Amino acid sequence: MRIQILAVAVGTFLVSWGTAAGAGDLVVICNTSVSLKADEVRDVYFGDKGFAGPVKLLPADNSAAQDAFLEKVMKLDAKKYAGVWIKKAFRDGSAPPPLKASDAEAIAYVKQTAGACSYITSAPGDGVVVVAKF
Amino acid sequence: MFNKLLISARAIALGVALSIASLPAAADSVSDAKLEEMQKKLDQSMKMIEALGARVKELEGHASNGPAAAGAAPAPNPQRLEAVEQKVAQIETANATRQSDDSGLPIHGFADVNVGNHNLYFPYAKGTNVGSLDFYLAPKLGDRVVSLAELIFETGPDGHVGTDLERFQIGYQFNDQATVWVGRFHTPYGYVNTALHHGVWLADALRRPKFVNFEDKGGVMPAHTTGVWVTGAQREGDGKFLYDFYVGNGQQIQGGTLDMQTGGNLHGAAIAGTRLSYQFIGGAVDGLLVGVNGFTDKVNDDNATNPALIRLNMVGAYAVYDTDTWEHIIEAYSFHDKSLNGSPGTHRSEAWFAQFGYRASWGVPYIRYERAMLDQSDPYFSEQTFGASYYRSALGVRFDINAKSSIKFEVAHTRNTDDRPATDYRPSDAEIGLPQQFNEILAQYAVRF
Repeated sequence: MRIQILAVAVGTFLVSWGTAAGAGDLVVICNTSVSLKADEVRDVYFGDKGFAGPVKLLPADNSAAQDAFLEKVMKLDAKKYAGVWIKKAFRDGSAPPPLKASDAEAIAYVKQTAGACSYITSAPGDGVVVVAKF
Repeated sequence: MFNKLLISARAIALGVALSIASLPAAADSVSDAKLEEMQKKLDQSMKMIEALGARVKELEGHASNGPAAAGAAPAPNPQRLEAVEQKVAQIETANATRQSDDSGLPIHGFADVNVGNHNLYFPYAKGTNVGSLDFYLAPKLGDRVVSLAELIFETGPDGHVGTDLERFQIGYQFNDQATVWVGRFHTPYGYVNTALHHGVWLADALRRPKFVNFEDKGGVMPAHTTGVWVTGAQREGDGKFLYDFYVGNGQQIQGGTLDMQTGGNLHGAAIAGTRLSYQFIGGAVDGLLVGVNGFTDKVNDDNATNPALIRLNMVGAYAVYDTDTWEHIIEAYSFHDKSLNGSPGTHRSEAWFAQFGYRASWGVPYIRYERAMLDQSDPYFSEQTFGASYYRSALGVRFDINAKSSIKFEVAHTRNTDDRPATDYRPSDAEIGLPQQFNEILAQYAVRF
């Protein structure tokens, strides 16, 4: 009987957990050297904000979460995002953020690079600063 | 043992079923039909669990016959697993730390070809013409050191292909509020001159307004400056302030064309100017950019004995509304010039344009009107081959073929409103073959790469 109750609880938990994961929280993370406000994230990815205090910002895109990021944070689609950076690159020589392939790569990049920021849809773990959740 | 497992599996399934059943109840949005469908799926799942249970029982029976019969699959080697995990972690770390600027120096560019009853810049020529092949590169030289080079191959007024280092600037970023550039750059006035540059693919319109075009394409303003440029921005509330200050070599008119004296000038003449702007971000006027600008420029000509020509003073204002749906640009300039070559007087001229574009899903139609009223007693304008007063009205449309190419069409009417006889520095408009007024039908294929 005890096993059955436990199993029912496990089943309930599994479904509840799955439902929560389906909500797909988007987490913006930065290196511990970076102090950034949530409302500054958009400026960073438009290339309008290049510094956080004395620290040069090095944002990276994450292909595993880019669609959600562009929709929730940047409020535009991939084509327009690329267009912004084409114009900006031609205007002042700025390079668009490098593209990481997965949450694991994005987290590793942020941990190891002073000034780095990126975004993920999984738990960030230790060693990074969570700037915002969307 | 197996029975216990089976009971546990059923209980988990029950838990899953209860949770699934509770979700729609909470959401209060699932129909009975959907519940029925879920019930069917649950039945199928139960059958699958029972089938799996039977298979487990069968395998357990095989296992009890001895290790040899348990199958040839070896148990995973923990050390090997650990090594693989380490390798994967190393690959992820290597990828994570790899910067985009480590993969060589990417070269980007733009190109365009044109067909029309007139050349879009030099109306005395007709037919098909190669516009420009424009390469730009921005080598990354560190976190704060920035650089930009733009090399262009283009057809000149004489129909020959020329090469020009349109921009070559090296800068240092102190912070968001201050970047210092040194070299040859696009003079910061208005919007078009620094936002749209040489790559015609960037612009919705087929060509720039004539009087703000580049010096060798019919423009009458110093589109390039060789000198020092300080620029930056400060975010304030729902917008940001932008500023530019610059000082550089004074321009010289050579053979009827304004030259930016890239190698330095002989007489120490200088240009100095500023542009102050405010960009609205968010709210009802998101995308609106307004600004004022001005410069003073001691312009020489190629008269060997008395090169000092004129003190050119310009003040202007501009407004841009750039959103997903609209692109409107208005620029206006006023010139107050003072002769320096002994001829008396001050001169006043004006020029402005307004362009309105609509970014539809199928293309970008636009209309533009431009007007330049340039005092022909002012040697700054009278010595320039394309320094005549004029007005032009144009209607055009841009279609994007894909993300990297577009086709544009424009019909336009232009009328030169000055009678321009020959001077010591240039032939008359009639000798050049510049028509007094003309209608144009133009097509352009523009790409980026």
